[in-house]
Amino acid sequence: MLFPTIDFGLFFALSLALVWSLNSQNNLKKVVLLALSLAFYASWNWRFLLLLLASGVISYLVGLYVDAAAARPFRRFALALGVALDLGILAYFKYLDFFIAQVLTLAHALGLNPSIAFVNVTLPVAISFMTFHAISYIVDVYRGRLAASRSPVDILLYISFFPHLVAGPIVRAHEFLPQLASPRNPGDFSFGENMLLILGGLFKKMVIANYLAVRFVDPVFTDPSQFSRFDLVMAVYAYAIQIYADFSAYTDIAIGVAALLGYRFPQNFNQPYRALGIGDFWRRWHMTLSTWLRDYLYIPLGGNRHGALATARNLMLTMLLGGLWHGANWTFLIWGAMHGAALVADHSWRRSAVFARYGAGRIAKVADWALTFHFVCFAWLFFRSPSLDSATQYILGIWTDNGAQSTMPGIVPPLIACGALTQIVPPQTRAALGAMLDDRGAVAQAAFGFAILYVVVAMAPSASAPFIYFQF
Amino acid sequence: MEITPQKSAADAAAVLPPRAPSPEARDAPTMKAAARDPASTSPLRRILVIYAILGLVWFAFPGGLVDWLDEHNSTGWLAAPLALARGIDAASAATGVKQVGQSLRKRFAAIIGDDEG
Repeated sequence: MLFPTIDFGLFFALSLALVWSLNSQNNLKKVVLLALSLAFYASWNWRFLLLLLASGVISYLVGLYVDAAAARPFRRFALALGVALDLGILAYFKYLDFFIAQVLTLAHALGLNPSIAFVNVTLPVAISFMTFHAISYIVDVYRGRLAASRSPVDILLYISFFPHLVAGPIVRAHEFLPQLASPRNPGDFSFGENMLLILGGLFKKMVIANYLAVRFVDPVFTDPSQFSRFDLVMAVYAYAIQIYADFSAYTDIAIGVAALLGYRFPQNFNQPYRALGIGDFWRRWHMTLSTWLRDYLYIPLGGNRHGALATARNLMLTMLLGGLWHGANWTFLIWGAMHGAALVADHSWRRSAVFARYGAGRIAKVADWALTFHFVCFAWLFFRSPSLDSATQYILGIWTDNGAQSTMPGIVPPLIACGALTQIVPPQTRAALGAMLDDRGAVAQAAFGFAILYVVVAMAPSASAPFIYFQF
Repeated sequence: MEITPQKSAADAAAVLPPRAPSPEARDAPTMKAAARDPASTSPLRRILVIYAILGLVWFAFPGGLVDWLDEHNSTGWLAAPLALARGIDAASAATGVKQVGQSLRKRFAAIIGDDEG
């Protein structure tokens, strides 16, 4: 059940009425929200409901034990067990076949022929996001950031809440669980702004991302040898806009839907292609993932407390694992390694005497932006390529001119421009428009919402491609 | 090039994004509360606005829901909603609203070169 579908439209309309009609009966409302979330998950594959329930039960029990255990070793053991179980589930479904493939390749290279078979399991939807939420809860309880919840419904709802379930944003337990304690106040949320978030998200996904993908990016990345050097370069820029439009659309809709139901989600994007430096990029791109990796991986590894070498090692490990999280493929590892190395270089550069002297100048800032943006685009090439061979072929295609003429559709530059516009519009614009909309009557609000949705439906292709982060 | 070792746990995060000051401060910008007329923040009013938007879009592009209901009606349990959707489809066509939407979709598909549009 993808967001921009009739299925989800009907599901959301039903959920909205149900949830607000039960607002004064908070416990019943939570049970209904949980049932809706489980139904949402079951719409992909009901068999994996068991996995979702298992993740919730493990988190609930480990949380209770960690909270109750007085001695530190017992608490640590329970934490380690909980994290290992969560990661074990993720490893089995997501990485086991990849690992077996690497072992077989190595064994064949050594002239061995081990009898190891692939497990060939279907990757459950949302398993990575589910794992992030489960780990966030038990680690937060261990660190004393929140008390273990006595309600299994709360924990299951935290992990499975349908707006964030499939592709985030990653909501921390200490941010979400307190919101379940009492009935929600609709006055806490701007209706106009959330409507704009959802409608803007639909436009970004259904028009910008879908057309860029179908009309240009997918064909070019499928067989780069058929395209001109110019097309190959433009397809990298187009993919940079496509992945931003696609992923930020999902989280915008998720944040808007959650807010209309009365729940706050954290911001996930902040005009990432304006970043000055890779560190800045990660403060703006998939912010909930980068802060999750920082708090639950980078800092426990030692952060930058043990000198330059240890800092570089920790950054590389964090980004390598962050890359691997996106999928069991060498392309994601290379992408993570590139970002790790760039963060190490960025970290050193920003502490150098040269940067202190010249870094604040206008020319330095323009150079900083251009270098960051083009590095990020180049790294996307690996992220998007189906294999390392394909990425190599793509780069060789840019390097060597095959004499082909450009076949880039004329709609691509306007779509790229539209995507670029989202990076330069002042961030407070949406809040201002939302406030204006809040001050209008219901008829004006409905007319405005209808007009925008009409344009989106009129422009959208007949079928919507799945969200890119749906597969992670 | 010089890296100053950080001594405290709080400093450890200096390379990756800084620790958020508080969950509230990190909330999406859309979440800020504002003092408003209680009637304008009533859930019922908001639900009605959303239903009105969805209803109007349904009237403007009725074909999608007819197809969707038809697809999911293998056992006949959606016969009543399907009949209603067909009625809306007919009303939309009779008033010319459906044709406007279809024509706009075709025009945009032609511009974009989308054969299936």
